[in-house]
Amino acid sequence: MSEMFAHLGLGFGVALTLQNIALCFVGCLVGTLVGVLPGVGPIATIAMLLPITFGLDPVGALIMLAGIYYGAQYGGSTTAILVNIPGEATSVVTTLDGHQMARQGRAGVALGTAALASFFAGCVATVVIAALGAPLTKLALLFGPAEYFSLMVMGLCFAVVLARGSILKAFCMIMLGLLLSTVGTDLETGQERMTFGFPPLSDGIDFAVLAMGVFGFAEVLRNLENPEARDVVRAKIGRLLPGWSDIKQAALPVVRGTGIGAILGILPGNGAVLGPFASYTVEKKIAKDPSRFGKGAIEGVAGPEAANNAGAQTAFIPLLTLGIPPNAVMALMVGAMTIHGIIPGPQVMTKNPDLFWGMIASMWIGNLMLLVINLPLVGLWVKLLQVPYRLMFPAILIFCSIGIYSVNNQPVDVAFTALFGLFGYILIKLGFEPAPMLLGFVLGKLMEEKLRQALIISRGSFMTFIERPISAGLLLVAVAILVIALLPSMSKKREEVFTE
Amino acid sequence: MSLNKIEAAQGWRIRSTQDFAGGLFMIALAGLALFLARDLPLGTLRQIGPGMLPKSIAVICAALGALLAFNSLRYKGEKLSGWSWRGVLFVLGAAVIFGLTIRGFEIGPLKVPQLGMLVSGPLVVFIAGLAADDVRIKELAIFAVAMTAACALLFKYALSLPIPLAPWLLGI
Repeated sequence: MSEMFAHLGLGFGVALTLQNIALCFVGCLVGTLVGVLPGVGPIATIAMLLPITFGLDPVGALIMLAGIYYGAQYGGSTTAILVNIPGEATSVVTTLDGHQMARQGRAGVALGTAALASFFAGCVATVVIAALGAPLTKLALLFGPAEYFSLMVMGLCFAVVLARGSILKAFCMIMLGLLLSTVGTDLETGQERMTFGFPPLSDGIDFAVLAMGVFGFAEVLRNLENPEARDVVRAKIGRLLPGWSDIKQAALPVVRGTGIGAILGILPGNGAVLGPFASYTVEKKIAKDPSRFGKGAIEGVAGPEAANNAGAQTAFIPLLTLGIPPNAVMALMVGAMTIHGIIPGPQVMTKNPDLFWGMIASMWIGNLMLLVINLPLVGLWVKLLQVPYRLMFPAILIFCSIGIYSVNNQPVDVAFTALFGLFGYILIKLGFEPAPMLLGFVLGKLMEEKLRQALIISRGSFMTFIERPISAGLLLVAVAILVIALLPSMSKKREEVFTE
Repeated sequence: MSLNKIEAAQGWRIRSTQDFAGGLFMIALAGLALFLARDLPLGTLRQIGPGMLPKSIAVICAALGALLAFNSLRYKGEKLSGWSWRGVLFVLGAAVIFGLTIRGFEIGPLKVPQLGMLVSGPLVVFIAGLAADDVRIKELAIFAVAMTAACALLFKYALSLPIPLAPWLLGI
């Protein structure tokens, strides 16, 4: 316990330097700014803004990126409430009651509740990360290659099950991601693999190029196709602070939502998406009058928003302690860390304690800033929502183009990104969700390395994955969730969750 | 495919053109990967060669694709819907043009000097903007110039990224 406070003290020492506070603030502000724009979710936001962190030191860069991440996450809620367009999957639930509240002239209260719920959840989640960080890192150091491999298999299985839409298609995407990760020079023999003999590909497909193509360009193409009717609330925003009766109604859902979100967020494979859904279902189940839900019930905003934010933050736990990204956004963070020369994993905490704890402390500060940024500036965000898409996407495009060029100063990368944009557009048209692909792509290289190591140690025997108890347990969990998800009764339920 | 929409197969026909095409697409990609990896040795389990993973993953991809295509014959699903080539052409074309002109290029007899961001920037915004259904040329042109200026200030001066502005004119 005292150790945890010592660590947090160190973290706040790092995070509270003038420069890092400023970076955190800029990150939150810019993240919210871009996140508010409908059709630009956290993944696209981070991919787009990655280059602006290049010139910073690693700690500052990660603090800013984390700020962009939860800023974008938060911005998504604002759009959900005001425009009825979820900025991303985790704020789908918020549209249900949040937008109804807005139409009843209580937009301010909905926004205020969301902000306060998120802040509370963020505070708790920060403590959870700090408390779990050290013990999990110790556990991770016991992991050999076999355990790592099995852990990643489990993560990918979770990603398949928790993905939206067809399980089979999610499976396809994971495998495609793994396949793409094998492009480039083989680490052991130095042979070129599937590069078309094209030199820029010998280092493999650049992560930023893939992410920006699939999530930046392809998203633009998707949005161009469906000119959304923006149902921007014309009614007054109203007062922002929830009244006493609102607070009484929202308090318990916030606490429950925080708990649900924090636990589900740690799950590999985009647990953060599940949190809001689960919280909403719980609140609806235990409500005295469930029929109020969908018509502007404040519990339907408070619980899921808390769950959303808690999950978004605890999703950092697997990344920081094990070096394994649990979802596509965290996969982007891995990319960002590697660009800054940090290899995520258990050694980060021991080798760069200032980075590890500084980032955690900055999360709390960031949450506080979001409160400050969002409530008073809400009028500004509403204005921003009125920027027409015909101007927004060319702006996105020039940002992405300059950004992708700056990653390696390679003009050919921009053309590659366009190619992946086309690829992503085809995937979308064929009904594939690209997020699991990005996860597979990022985990692919690590998995191959660990698989090879494990097999060298076991002299080519696959039994090593089953003989080692931790590894066997992880694989068992993986098989179990796949089986459960494929059972007809469960897949029915799963569909209900995702269509609601 | 969605399991709760299972319908008893009444003759074989494609019930979801989207899934069918998706399956074929996966198979095609797997085929391409297998073709590209044809010369890579598999190695042994004890010492995995460079070809083992690409080839085995490709085989799995092909199998999943086949399953998806097969399922599309049995289960109802989405149809393939219209493709908007206008977006693809202008948006992706704009990005390619940015890549080609920012530092110049040479393809055979065709030679473009380094134009830099002050030219490539407005080009990318303007060309991309043409993809919108409700495009307004004048507005777009002004926006293209303003956006480029903002980006130049942000990326070149605030973040000091090494991006050429206008080497042919200003030498930077």
